[in-house]
Amino acid sequence: MAQEIIDGRKIAAEIREELKQRVLKLKDKGVTPGLAAILLGEDPGSLSYLRSIAKGCEAVGMLTETVKLQENISQENLEAEIIKLNHNPKFHGIILQLPLPKHLDTIRAESTISPEKDVDGTNPVSTGKLLLGEDTFLPSTPRGVQELLIRSGHSPEGKHVVICGRSNIVGKPLMGILIQKKEGANATITVCHTGTKNLASITRQADIIVAAMGKAGIITADMVREGATVVDVGVNQIQDPVSGKFRLVGDVDFDAVKEKAGAITPVPGGTGPVTSAILLANTVWAAEKVTI
Amino acid sequence: MTAKIIDGKAISASIKEELKERLKKLYLLGVTPGLSGVLVGEDPGSATYIRLKEKVSAELGVNSAMLRLAADITQDKLLAEIERLNADASIHGIFLQLPLPEHLNENVALAAVSPDKDVDGFHPTNIGKAWLGQSAFIPAGALAVHEMILRSGFKPDGKDMVIVGVDDLVGKPLASILVQDRVGSRANVTLCDPSIENLASYTKRADILVVAANRPRFITGDMVKDGVVVLDAGSNWQLDPVTKKNKTVGDVEFDSVGEKAAAITPVPGGVGPMLIIMLMSNTIMAAEHASNC
Repeated sequence: MAQEIIDGRKIAAEIREELKQRVLKLKDKGVTPGLAAILLGEDPGSLSYLRSIAKGCEAVGMLTETVKLQENISQENLEAEIIKLNHNPKFHGIILQLPLPKHLDTIRAESTISPEKDVDGTNPVSTGKLLLGEDTFLPSTPRGVQELLIRSGHSPEGKHVVICGRSNIVGKPLMGILIQKKEGANATITVCHTGTKNLASITRQADIIVAAMGKAGIITADMVREGATVVDVGVNQIQDPVSGKFRLVGDVDFDAVKEKAGAITPVPGGTGPVTSAILLANTVWAAEKVTI
Repeated sequence: MTAKIIDGKAISASIKEELKERLKKLYLLGVTPGLSGVLVGEDPGSATYIRLKEKVSAELGVNSAMLRLAADITQDKLLAEIERLNADASIHGIFLQLPLPEHLNENVALAAVSPDKDVDGFHPTNIGKAWLGQSAFIPAGALAVHEMILRSGFKPDGKDMVIVGVDDLVGKPLASILVQDRVGSRANVTLCDPSIENLASYTKRADILVVAANRPRFITGDMVKDGVVVLDAGSNWQLDPVTKKNKTVGDVEFDSVGEKAAAITPVPGGVGPMLIIMLMSNTIMAAEHASNC
Protein backbone atom coordinates (compact mmCIF):
# COMPACT_ATOMS: atom_id res chain seq x y z
CA MET A 1 0.00 0.00 0.00
CA ALA A 2 1.00 3.58 -0.48
CA GLN A 3 2.49 4.85 2.75
CA GLU A 4 2.44 8.47 3.63
CA ILE A 5 5.25 9.94 5.67
CA ILE A 6 3.83 12.95 7.51
CA ASP A 7 6.34 15.76 7.16
CA GLY A 8 6.38 17.65 10.45
CA ARG A 9 8.95 20.15 9.21
CA LYS A 10 6.73 21.17 6.33
CA ILE A 11 3.70 21.57 8.60
CA ALA A 12 5.77 23.60 11.05
CA ALA A 13 6.95 25.85 8.20
CA GLU A 14 3.31 26.43 7.18
CA ILE A 15 2.41 27.41 10.74
CA ARG A 16 5.37 29.79 10.95
CA GLU A 17 4.37 31.44 7.66
CA GLU A 18 0.92 32.17 9.13
CA LEU A 19 2.50 33.43 12.33
CA LYS A 20 4.68 35.90 10.39
CA GLN A 21 1.54 37.68 9.21
CA ARG A 22 0.12 37.84 12.72
CA VAL A 23 3.42 39.14 14.09
CA LEU A 24 3.45 41.88 11.42
CA LYS A 25 -0.02 43.00 12.51
CA LEU A 26 1.14 43.15 16.13
CA LYS A 27 4.22 45.13 15.15
CA ASP A 28 1.97 47.66 13.40
CA LYS A 29 0.50 48.24 16.83
CA GLY A 30 3.95 48.58 18.35
CA VAL A 31 4.04 45.15 19.96
CA THR A 32 6.69 42.47 19.39
CA PRO A 33 5.66 39.11 20.86
CA GLY A 34 8.29 37.96 23.35
CA LEU A 35 9.06 34.53 24.80
CA ALA A 36 11.20 33.98 27.89
CA ALA A 37 12.68 30.52 28.44
CA ILE A 38 14.03 29.66 31.86
CA LEU A 39 16.87 27.15 31.91
CA LEU A 40 18.61 25.84 35.00
CA GLY A 41 22.11 24.59 34.37
CA GLU A 42 23.59 23.66 31.02
CA ASP A 43 21.87 20.45 29.93
CA PRO A 44 22.95 20.00 26.27
CA GLY A 45 19.58 18.58 25.19
CA SER A 46 17.73 21.57 26.67
CA LEU A 47 20.20 24.01 25.16
CA SER A 48 19.74 22.53 21.72
CA TYR A 49 15.93 22.63 22.10
CA LEU A 50 16.02 26.26 23.18
CA ARG A 51 18.36 27.14 20.30
CA SER A 52 15.81 25.70 17.87
CA ILE A 53 13.03 27.66 19.59
CA ALA A 54 15.13 30.81 19.32
CA LYS A 55 15.66 30.20 15.62
CA GLY A 56 11.93 29.79 15.13
CA CYS A 57 11.22 33.00 17.03
CA GLU A 58 13.72 34.86 14.86
CA ALA A 59 12.17 33.42 11.69
CA VAL A 60 8.70 34.76 12.54
CA GLY A 61 9.95 38.09 13.91
CA MET A 62 9.51 37.40 17.62
CA LEU A 63 11.72 38.31 20.50
CA THR A 64 13.17 35.58 22.66
CA GLU A 65 15.50 35.37 25.58
CA THR A 66 16.89 32.43 27.55
CA VAL A 67 17.12 33.20 31.24
CA LYS A 68 19.94 30.99 32.47
CA LEU A 69 19.95 30.27 36.19
CA GLN A 70 22.27 28.30 38.43
CA GLU A 71 21.38 24.67 38.90
CA ASN A 72 21.58 25.05 42.69
CA ILE A 73 19.16 28.00 42.83
CA SER A 74 16.71 27.91 45.75
CA GLN A 75 12.96 27.49 45.22
CA GLU A 76 12.37 31.03 46.53
CA ASN A 77 14.86 32.58 44.14
CA LEU A 78 13.52 30.60 41.18
CA GLU A 79 9.98 31.76 41.98
CA ALA A 80 11.24 35.34 42.36
CA GLU A 81 12.78 35.13 38.87
CA ILE A 82 9.50 33.81 37.47
CA ILE A 83 7.56 36.62 39.15
CA LYS A 84 9.95 39.17 37.65
CA LEU A 85 9.19 37.75 34.21
CA ASN A 86 5.44 37.76 34.99
CA HIS A 87 5.75 41.52 35.50
CA ASN A 88 8.01 42.18 32.51
CA PRO A 89 5.81 43.50 29.67
CA LYS A 90 8.48 42.55 27.10
CA PHE A 91 7.55 38.89 27.51
CA HIS A 92 4.10 37.53 26.61
CA GLY A 93 5.04 33.92 27.17
CA ILE A 94 7.20 32.16 29.73
CA ILE A 95 8.40 28.58 29.61
CA LEU A 96 10.28 26.66 32.23
CA GLN A 97 12.57 24.03 30.75
CA LEU A 98 12.11 20.67 32.48
CA PRO A 99 13.24 18.54 34.23
CA LEU A 100 14.24 20.73 37.17
CA PRO A 101 16.95 19.57 39.57
CA LYS A 102 15.59 17.27 42.27
CA HIS A 103 15.71 19.80 45.13
CA LEU A 104 13.08 21.96 43.42
CA ASP A 105 9.28 21.58 43.41
CA THR A 106 8.28 21.56 39.73
CA ILE A 107 4.56 21.95 40.33
CA ARG A 108 5.02 24.94 42.59
CA ALA A 109 7.39 26.55 40.13
CA GLU A 110 5.02 25.98 37.21
CA SER A 111 2.09 27.31 39.20
CA THR A 112 4.05 30.53 39.72
CA ILE A 113 3.93 31.33 36.00
CA SER A 114 1.09 33.77 35.44
CA PRO A 115 -1.80 31.99 33.61
CA GLU A 116 -1.76 34.86 31.07
CA LYS A 117 1.83 33.96 30.13
CA ASP A 118 1.66 30.21 30.65
CA VAL A 119 2.15 29.39 26.95
CA ASP A 120 3.05 25.77 27.70
CA GLY A 121 -0.24 25.37 29.58
CA THR A 122 1.43 23.84 32.65
CA ASN A 123 -0.44 25.74 35.38
CA PRO A 124 -3.23 23.54 36.85
CA VAL A 125 -5.72 26.33 36.06
CA SER A 126 -4.78 26.00 32.38
CA THR A 127 -5.19 22.21 32.61
CA GLY A 128 -8.61 22.65 34.21
CA LYS A 129 -9.73 25.04 31.47
CA LEU A 130 -8.41 22.64 28.85
CA LEU A 131 -10.65 19.89 30.24
CA LEU A 132 -13.64 22.19 30.47
CA GLY A 133 -13.11 23.16 26.85
CA GLU A 134 -12.56 26.82 27.71
CA ASP A 135 -10.14 29.08 25.85
CA THR A 136 -6.71 28.53 27.30
CA PHE A 137 -3.11 27.81 26.31
CA LEU A 138 -2.83 24.17 25.34
CA PRO A 139 0.48 22.41 26.01
CA SER A 140 2.46 22.52 22.78
CA THR A 141 3.27 18.84 22.31
CA PRO A 142 -0.30 17.47 22.47
CA ARG A 143 -1.69 20.52 20.69
CA GLY A 144 0.99 19.93 18.05
CA VAL A 145 -0.16 16.33 17.62
CA GLN A 146 -3.72 17.54 17.02
CA GLU A 147 -2.57 20.18 14.54
CA LEU A 148 -0.35 17.70 12.70
CA LEU A 149 -3.26 15.29 12.34
CA ILE A 150 -5.60 17.98 11.07
CA ARG A 151 -3.14 19.53 8.64
CA SER A 152 -2.09 16.18 7.21
CA GLY A 153 -5.70 15.29 6.52
CA HIS A 154 -6.11 12.74 9.31
CA SER A 155 -8.54 14.58 11.55
CA PRO A 156 -9.28 12.68 14.77
CA GLU A 157 -13.03 13.42 14.49
CA GLY A 158 -15.07 10.29 15.06
CA LYS A 159 -11.92 8.17 15.16
CA HIS A 160 -10.65 5.82 17.84
CA VAL A 161 -7.40 7.33 19.08
CA VAL A 162 -5.25 5.12 21.29
CA ILE A 163 -2.72 7.11 23.29
CA CYS A 164 0.17 5.06 24.65
CA GLY A 165 1.57 6.94 27.63
CA ARG A 166 -0.19 8.96 30.32
CA SER A 167 2.32 11.68 31.14
CA ASN A 168 1.26 15.11 32.30
CA ILE A 169 2.93 16.71 29.29
CA VAL A 170 1.60 14.50 26.47
CA GLY A 171 -0.82 11.65 27.21
CA LYS A 172 -3.21 13.24 29.66
CA PRO A 173 -3.53 16.65 28.01
CA LEU A 174 -3.89 15.04 24.56
CA MET A 175 -6.79 13.00 25.92
CA GLY A 176 -8.31 16.20 27.29
CA ILE A 177 -7.92 17.99 23.97
CA LEU A 178 -9.32 15.22 21.77
CA ILE A 179 -12.41 14.38 23.87
CA GLN A 180 -13.81 17.89 23.54
CA LYS A 181 -16.96 18.31 21.51
CA LYS A 182 -15.15 20.55 19.04
CA GLU A 183 -14.02 20.57 15.46
CA GLY A 184 -10.73 18.72 15.15
CA ALA A 185 -11.48 16.72 18.29
CA ASN A 186 -14.65 14.64 18.93
CA ALA A 187 -12.64 11.44 19.12
CA THR A 188 -13.10 8.30 21.18
CA ILE A 189 -9.97 8.03 23.29
CA THR A 190 -8.25 5.16 25.01
CA VAL A 191 -5.23 5.87 27.20
CA CYS A 192 -2.83 2.99 27.87
CA HIS A 193 0.48 2.94 29.65
CA THR A 194 3.72 1.00 30.02
CA GLY A 195 2.02 -1.31 32.55
CA THR A 196 -0.77 -2.27 30.15
CA LYS A 197 -0.62 -6.04 29.66
CA ASN A 198 -2.70 -6.38 26.52
CA LEU A 199 -1.29 -3.28 24.83
CA ALA A 200 -1.24 -4.86 21.34
CA SER A 201 -4.89 -5.90 21.54
CA ILE A 202 -5.80 -2.30 22.30
CA THR A 203 -3.51 -0.59 19.77
CA ARG A 204 -4.81 -2.90 17.04
CA GLN A 205 -8.25 -1.33 17.53
CA ALA A 206 -6.91 2.14 16.85
CA ASP A 207 -7.58 4.30 13.84
CA ILE A 208 -4.86 6.59 15.18
CA ILE A 209 -2.03 5.53 17.50
CA VAL A 210 -0.10 8.14 19.44
CA ALA A 211 3.10 6.74 20.95
CA ALA A 212 4.34 8.73 23.92
CA MET A 213 5.89 6.25 26.30
CA GLY A 214 9.54 7.18 26.02
CA LYS A 215 10.61 3.65 25.08
CA ALA A 216 12.54 3.17 21.88
CA GLY A 217 10.74 1.04 19.31
CA ILE A 218 8.04 -0.24 21.68
CA ILE A 219 5.32 0.04 19.03
CA THR A 220 5.97 -2.78 16.58
CA ALA A 221 4.26 -3.68 13.32
CA ASP A 222 2.13 -6.46 14.84
CA MET A 223 0.55 -3.87 17.14
CA VAL A 224 -0.73 -1.73 14.27
CA ARG A 225 -3.81 -2.27 12.18
CA GLU A 226 -3.34 -2.10 8.40
CA GLY A 227 -3.86 1.50 7.30
CA ALA A 228 -3.76 3.10 10.74
CA THR A 229 -2.24 6.54 11.30
CA VAL A 230 0.76 6.43 13.62
CA VAL A 231 2.06 9.51 15.42
CA ASP A 232 5.36 9.14 17.24
CA VAL A 233 6.03 11.58 20.08
CA GLY A 234 8.92 9.59 21.54
CA VAL A 235 12.45 10.95 21.47
CA ASN A 236 15.00 8.39 22.60
CA GLN A 237 18.74 8.54 22.19
CA ILE A 238 20.21 5.17 21.33
CA GLN A 239 23.70 4.02 20.45
CA ASP A 240 24.17 2.32 17.12
CA PRO A 241 25.72 -1.08 17.86
CA VAL A 242 27.84 -0.95 14.70
CA SER A 243 29.07 2.62 14.41
CA GLY A 244 28.91 3.38 18.15
CA LYS A 245 27.29 6.70 17.32
CA PHE A 246 24.24 8.08 19.11
CA ARG A 247 21.09 8.83 17.20
CA LEU A 248 17.49 9.80 17.96
CA VAL A 249 14.71 7.30 17.50
CA GLY A 250 11.04 7.36 18.37
CA ASP A 251 8.81 4.97 20.30
CA VAL A 252 7.74 3.37 17.02
CA ASP A 253 9.72 0.75 15.12
CA PHE A 254 9.57 3.03 12.10
CA ASP A 255 10.92 0.81 9.30
CA ALA A 256 8.54 -2.06 10.04
CA VAL A 257 5.49 -0.02 11.03
CA LYS A 258 5.65 2.21 7.97
CA GLU A 259 4.94 -0.84 5.80
CA LYS A 260 1.63 -1.33 7.56
CA ALA A 261 0.51 2.14 8.57
CA GLY A 262 -1.49 4.34 6.25
CA ALA A 263 0.44 7.36 7.48
CA ILE A 264 3.28 7.77 9.94
CA THR A 265 5.44 10.50 11.42
CA PRO A 266 9.23 10.10 11.40
CA VAL A 267 11.61 10.87 14.27
CA PRO A 268 13.23 13.32 13.91
CA GLY A 269 11.19 15.56 11.63
CA GLY A 270 7.72 14.56 12.84
CA THR A 271 6.00 15.94 15.91
CA GLY A 272 9.09 17.79 17.23
CA PRO A 273 9.11 20.69 14.76
CA VAL A 274 5.32 21.11 15.09
CA THR A 275 5.64 21.32 18.89
CA SER A 276 8.08 24.20 18.52
CA ALA A 277 5.82 25.99 16.05
CA ILE A 278 2.85 25.65 18.40
CA LEU A 279 4.85 27.18 21.23
CA LEU A 280 5.45 30.21 19.01
CA ALA A 281 1.77 30.30 18.06
CA ASN A 282 0.75 30.27 21.72
CA THR A 283 3.12 33.16 22.42
CA VAL A 284 1.76 35.18 19.50
CA TRP A 285 -1.77 34.50 20.81
CA ALA A 286 -0.71 35.65 24.30
CA ALA A 287 0.54 38.90 22.78
CA GLU A 288 -2.65 39.33 20.74
CA LYS A 289 -4.78 38.85 23.85
CA VAL A 290 -3.14 41.77 25.62
CA THR A 291 -3.02 43.92 22.48
CA ILE A 292 -6.32 43.57 20.64
CA MET B 1 -29.57 -13.50 37.61
CA THR B 2 -26.23 -14.15 39.24
CA ALA B 3 -24.83 -10.64 39.23
CA LYS B 4 -23.81 -9.22 42.56
CA ILE B 5 -25.79 -6.09 43.34
CA ILE B 6 -23.56 -3.17 44.26
CA ASP B 7 -25.61 -1.56 46.99
CA GLY B 8 -25.12 2.20 47.08
CA LYS B 9 -27.13 2.62 50.26
CA ALA B 10 -25.00 0.11 52.18
CA ILE B 11 -21.71 1.55 50.90
CA SER B 12 -22.81 5.07 51.66
CA ALA B 13 -23.80 3.98 55.21
CA SER B 14 -20.37 2.52 55.84
CA ILE B 15 -18.63 5.65 54.50
CA LYS B 16 -20.87 7.68 56.81
CA GLU B 17 -19.53 5.75 59.82
CA GLU B 18 -15.95 6.45 58.70
CA LEU B 19 -16.74 10.13 58.30
CA LYS B 20 -18.06 10.24 61.87
CA GLU B 21 -14.66 9.02 63.10
CA ARG B 22 -12.91 11.76 61.12
CA LEU B 23 -15.36 14.29 62.54
CA LYS B 24 -14.53 13.24 66.10
CA LYS B 25 -10.90 14.15 65.49
CA LEU B 26 -11.93 17.53 64.15
CA TYR B 27 -14.22 18.20 67.13
CA LEU B 28 -11.28 17.47 69.45
CA LEU B 29 -9.44 20.29 67.69
CA GLY B 30 -12.45 22.51 68.25
CA VAL B 31 -13.36 22.43 64.54
CA THR B 32 -16.84 21.72 63.22
CA PRO B 33 -16.87 21.57 59.42
CA GLY B 34 -19.17 24.14 57.84
CA LEU B 35 -20.87 23.68 54.48
CA SER B 36 -22.59 26.44 52.58
CA GLY B 37 -24.72 25.88 49.50
CA VAL B 38 -25.89 28.70 47.30
CA LEU B 39 -29.35 28.32 45.80
CA VAL B 40 -30.48 30.97 43.34
CA GLY B 41 -34.21 31.04 42.71
CA GLU B 42 -36.83 28.49 43.64
CA ASP B 43 -36.44 25.58 41.26
CA PRO B 44 -38.26 22.77 43.10
CA GLY B 45 -35.68 20.10 42.20
CA SER B 46 -32.80 22.27 43.39
CA ALA B 47 -34.67 23.19 46.57
CA THR B 48 -35.16 19.48 47.32
CA TYR B 49 -31.46 18.75 46.82
CA ILE B 50 -30.46 21.59 49.12
CA ARG B 51 -32.83 20.30 51.82
CA LEU B 52 -31.38 16.79 51.49
CA LYS B 53 -27.87 18.15 51.85
CA GLU B 54 -28.98 20.08 54.94
CA LYS B 55 -30.51 16.94 56.39
CA VAL B 56 -27.43 14.77 55.85
CA SER B 57 -25.19 17.53 57.26
CA ALA B 58 -27.32 17.61 60.42
CA GLU B 59 -27.27 13.82 60.76
CA LEU B 60 -23.50 13.76 60.51
CA GLY B 61 -22.77 16.79 62.65
CA VAL B 62 -21.60 19.14 59.91
CA ASN B 63 -22.81 22.72 60.20
CA SER B 64 -24.75 23.79 57.17
CA ALA B 65 -25.61 27.33 56.20
CA MET B 66 -27.55 27.33 52.97
CA LEU B 67 -27.87 30.65 51.23
CA ARG B 68 -31.11 31.17 49.34
CA LEU B 69 -30.87 34.05 46.88
CA ALA B 70 -33.52 35.71 44.74
CA ALA B 71 -33.89 34.39 41.19
CA ASP B 72 -33.15 37.83 39.73
CA ILE B 73 -29.90 38.45 41.61
CA THR B 74 -27.24 40.13 39.47
CA GLN B 75 -23.96 38.42 38.59
CA ASP B 76 -22.02 41.00 40.62
CA LYS B 77 -24.13 40.46 43.72
CA LEU B 78 -23.83 36.69 43.39
CA LEU B 79 -20.04 37.03 43.12
CA ALA B 80 -20.02 39.28 46.18
CA GLU B 81 -21.95 36.65 48.16
CA ILE B 82 -19.48 33.95 47.07
CA GLU B 83 -16.62 36.23 48.08
CA ARG B 84 -18.18 36.69 51.50
CA LEU B 85 -18.40 32.90 51.96
CA ASN B 86 -14.79 32.52 50.76
CA ALA B 87 -13.73 34.90 53.53
CA ASP B 88 -15.83 33.26 56.25
CA ALA B 89 -13.53 31.01 58.33
CA SER B 90 -16.44 28.99 59.73
CA ILE B 91 -17.33 27.79 56.22
CA HIS B 92 -15.01 25.09 54.87
CA GLY B 93 -17.01 24.00 51.86
CA ILE B 94 -19.03 25.99 49.33
CA PHE B 95 -21.13 24.69 46.46
CA LEU B 96 -23.45 26.32 43.97
CA GLN B 97 -26.67 24.42 43.40
CA LEU B 98 -26.82 24.12 39.60
CA PRO B 99 -28.26 25.03 37.22
CA LEU B 100 -28.16 28.78 37.84
CA PRO B 101 -30.81 30.97 36.17
CA GLU B 102 -29.89 31.74 32.58
CA HIS B 103 -28.91 35.38 33.09
CA LEU B 104 -25.99 34.27 35.29
CA ASN B 105 -22.64 33.05 34.00
CA GLU B 106 -22.12 29.65 35.59
CA ASN B 107 -18.45 29.26 34.65
CA VAL B 108 -17.56 32.64 36.12
CA ALA B 109 -19.50 31.90 39.31
CA LEU B 110 -17.90 28.47 39.73
CA ALA B 111 -14.43 29.93 39.23
CA ALA B 112 -15.18 32.53 41.92
CA VAL B 113 -15.44 29.89 44.64
CA SER B 114 -12.11 29.59 46.46
CA PRO B 115 -10.39 26.39 45.21
CA ASP B 116 -9.72 25.51 48.89
CA LYS B 117 -13.48 25.46 49.58
CA ASP B 118 -14.67 24.12 46.23
CA VAL B 119 -16.15 20.86 47.55
CA ASP B 120 -17.98 20.17 44.27
CA GLY B 121 -14.60 20.12 42.49
CA PHE B 122 -15.81 22.34 39.64
CA HIS B 123 -13.14 25.06 39.88
CA PRO B 124 -10.62 24.90 36.99
CA THR B 125 -7.77 24.69 39.52
CA ASN B 126 -9.25 21.55 41.09
CA ILE B 127 -10.10 20.01 37.73
CA GLY B 128 -6.54 20.66 36.57
CA LYS B 129 -4.91 19.37 39.74
CA ALA B 130 -6.99 16.21 39.68
CA TRP B 131 -6.01 15.60 36.06
CA LEU B 132 -2.34 16.13 36.87
CA GLY B 133 -2.61 13.68 39.78
CA GLN B 134 -2.30 16.24 42.57
CA SER B 135 -4.45 16.40 45.69
CA ALA B 136 -7.73 18.09 44.73
CA PHE B 137 -11.47 18.12 45.27
CA ILE B 138 -13.10 15.77 42.77
CA PRO B 139 -16.81 15.89 41.84
CA ALA B 140 -19.03 13.60 43.94
CA GLY B 141 -20.33 11.57 40.98
CA ALA B 142 -16.85 10.46 39.93
CA LEU B 143 -15.73 9.81 43.52
CA ALA B 144 -18.88 7.78 44.14
CA VAL B 145 -18.32 5.50 41.15
CA HIS B 146 -14.67 4.97 42.07
CA GLU B 147 -15.48 4.18 45.71
CA MET B 148 -18.21 1.75 44.68
CA ILE B 149 -15.81 -0.16 42.42
CA LEU B 150 -13.14 -0.41 45.11
CA ARG B 151 -15.46 -1.16 48.02
CA SER B 152 -17.21 -3.97 46.20
CA GLY B 153 -13.86 -5.67 45.77
CA PHE B 154 -12.99 -4.80 42.19
CA LYS B 155 -9.75 -3.17 41.06
CA PRO B 156 -9.44 -0.84 38.09
CA ASP B 157 -5.69 -1.54 37.98
CA GLY B 158 -4.77 -2.94 34.59
CA LYS B 159 -8.41 -3.30 33.58
CA ASP B 160 -10.11 -2.05 30.45
CA MET B 161 -12.41 0.66 31.80
CA VAL B 162 -14.91 2.12 29.40
CA ILE B 163 -16.77 5.29 30.33
CA VAL B 164 -19.82 6.18 28.27
CA GLY B 165 -20.52 9.89 28.63
CA VAL B 166 -17.98 12.69 28.46
CA ASP B 167 -19.34 15.24 30.91
CA ASP B 168 -17.80 17.30 33.71
CA LEU B 169 -19.73 15.55 36.51
CA VAL B 170 -18.77 11.92 35.98
CA GLY B 171 -17.00 11.07 32.72
CA LYS B 172 -14.04 13.45 32.65
CA PRO B 173 -13.37 13.55 36.41
CA LEU B 174 -13.61 9.76 36.63
CA ALA B 175 -11.09 9.47 33.79
CA SER B 176 -8.86 11.84 35.73
CA ILE B 177 -8.91 9.44 38.70
CA LEU B 178 -8.40 6.28 36.66
CA VAL B 179 -5.51 7.37 34.43
CA GLN B 180 -3.26 8.14 37.38
CA ASP B 181 -0.30 5.90 38.14
CA ARG B 182 -1.67 4.92 41.58
CA VAL B 183 -3.06 1.82 43.25
CA GLY B 184 -6.81 1.76 42.62
CA SER B 185 -6.32 3.50 39.26
CA ARG B 186 -3.83 2.53 36.50
CA ALA B 187 -6.62 1.47 34.18
CA ASN B 188 -6.71 1.52 30.41
CA VAL B 189 -9.36 4.19 30.12
CA THR B 190 -11.63 4.67 27.14
CA LEU B 191 -13.94 7.67 27.01
CA CYS B 192 -16.86 7.41 24.58
CA ASP B 193 -19.49 9.88 23.60
CA PRO B 194 -22.86 8.06 23.83
CA SER B 195 -23.79 9.08 20.31
CA ILE B 196 -20.93 7.38 18.45
CA GLU B 197 -22.03 4.84 15.86
CA ASN B 198 -20.09 1.78 16.94
CA LEU B 199 -20.53 2.24 20.69
CA ALA B 200 -21.09 -1.48 21.31
CA SER B 201 -17.66 -2.32 19.89
CA TYR B 202 -16.19 -0.34 22.80
CA THR B 203 -18.59 -1.35 25.55
CA LYS B 204 -18.11 -5.04 24.68
CA ARG B 205 -14.42 -4.74 25.48
CA ALA B 206 -15.01 -3.34 28.96
CA ASP B 207 -13.97 -5.19 32.11
CA ILE B 208 -15.60 -2.35 34.01
CA LEU B 209 -18.26 -0.24 32.32
CA VAL B 210 -19.42 3.13 33.64
CA VAL B 211 -22.43 4.77 32.04
CA ALA B 212 -23.30 8.40 32.57
CA ALA B 213 -25.23 9.28 29.46
CA ASN B 214 -28.66 10.20 30.85
CA ARG B 215 -30.42 8.04 28.28
CA PRO B 216 -32.93 5.63 29.80
CA ARG B 217 -32.10 1.91 29.39
CA PHE B 218 -29.51 2.82 26.78
CA ILE B 219 -27.02 0.01 27.43
CA THR B 220 -28.50 -3.41 26.71
CA GLY B 221 -27.33 -6.95 27.38
CA ASP B 222 -25.99 -7.45 23.85
CA MET B 223 -23.57 -4.54 24.35
CA VAL B 224 -21.55 -6.05 27.21
CA LYS B 225 -19.38 -9.10 27.71
CA ASP B 226 -19.85 -11.82 30.31
CA GLY B 227 -18.44 -10.97 33.70
CA VAL B 228 -18.43 -7.20 33.26
CA VAL B 229 -18.80 -4.90 36.26
CA VAL B 230 -21.38 -2.20 35.51
CA LEU B 231 -21.82 1.14 37.24
CA ASP B 232 -24.89 3.10 36.20
CA ALA B 233 -24.69 6.80 36.98
CA GLY B 234 -27.79 7.62 34.96
CA SER B 235 -30.99 8.90 36.46
CA ASN B 236 -33.96 9.38 34.17
CA TRP B 237 -37.62 10.07 34.95
CA GLN B 238 -39.72 7.74 32.89
CA LEU B 239 -43.33 6.73 32.68
CA ASP B 240 -43.82 3.09 33.60
CA PRO B 241 -46.05 1.57 30.91
CA VAL B 242 -47.66 -0.82 33.42
CA THR B 243 -48.30 1.34 36.47
CA LYS B 244 -48.61 4.59 34.45
CA LYS B 245 -46.49 6.28 37.09
CA ASN B 246 -43.19 8.09 36.67
CA LYS B 247 -40.20 6.36 38.10
CA THR B 248 -36.44 6.71 38.08
CA VAL B 249 -34.61 4.45 35.66
CA GLY B 250 -30.93 4.21 34.88
CA ASP B 251 -28.95 4.27 31.64
CA VAL B 252 -28.53 0.52 31.80
CA GLU B 253 -31.22 -2.03 31.04
CA PHE B 254 -30.89 -3.75 34.38
CA ASP B 255 -32.43 -7.13 33.57
CA SER B 256 -30.62 -7.95 30.33
CA VAL B 257 -27.25 -6.55 31.45
CA GLY B 258 -27.65 -8.14 34.87
CA GLU B 259 -27.83 -11.56 33.18
CA LYS B 260 -24.27 -11.19 31.94
CA ALA B 261 -22.62 -8.95 34.53
CA ALA B 262 -20.53 -10.09 37.48
CA ALA B 263 -21.77 -7.07 39.41
CA ILE B 264 -24.11 -4.17 38.72
CA THR B 265 -25.50 -1.11 40.45
CA PRO B 266 -29.27 -0.75 40.57
CA VAL B 267 -31.15 2.48 39.88
CA PRO B 268 -32.44 3.71 42.25
CA GLY B 269 -30.24 2.60 45.14
CA GLY B 270 -26.91 2.64 43.32
CA VAL B 271 -24.81 5.72 42.59
CA GLY B 272 -27.57 8.13 43.70
CA PRO B 273 -27.39 7.52 47.47
CA MET B 274 -23.60 7.98 47.32
CA LEU B 275 -23.60 11.52 45.98
CA ILE B 276 -24.39 13.54 49.09
CA ILE B 277 -22.09 11.45 51.25
CA MET B 278 -19.19 12.13 48.87
CA LEU B 279 -19.96 15.86 49.13
CA MET B 280 -19.76 15.45 52.92
CA SER B 281 -16.46 13.63 52.55
CA ASN B 282 -15.09 16.54 50.52
CA THR B 283 -16.36 19.02 53.11
CA ILE B 284 -14.67 17.14 55.92
CA MET B 285 -11.47 16.98 53.84
CA ALA B 286 -11.67 20.76 53.38
CA ALA B 287 -11.99 21.23 57.15
CA GLU B 288 -9.08 18.84 57.73
CA HIS B 289 -6.90 20.79 55.31
CA ALA B 290 -7.88 24.09 56.88
CA SER B 291 -6.94 22.81 60.34
CA ASN B 292 -3.80 20.94 59.15
CA CYS B 293 -5.27 17.66 60.34
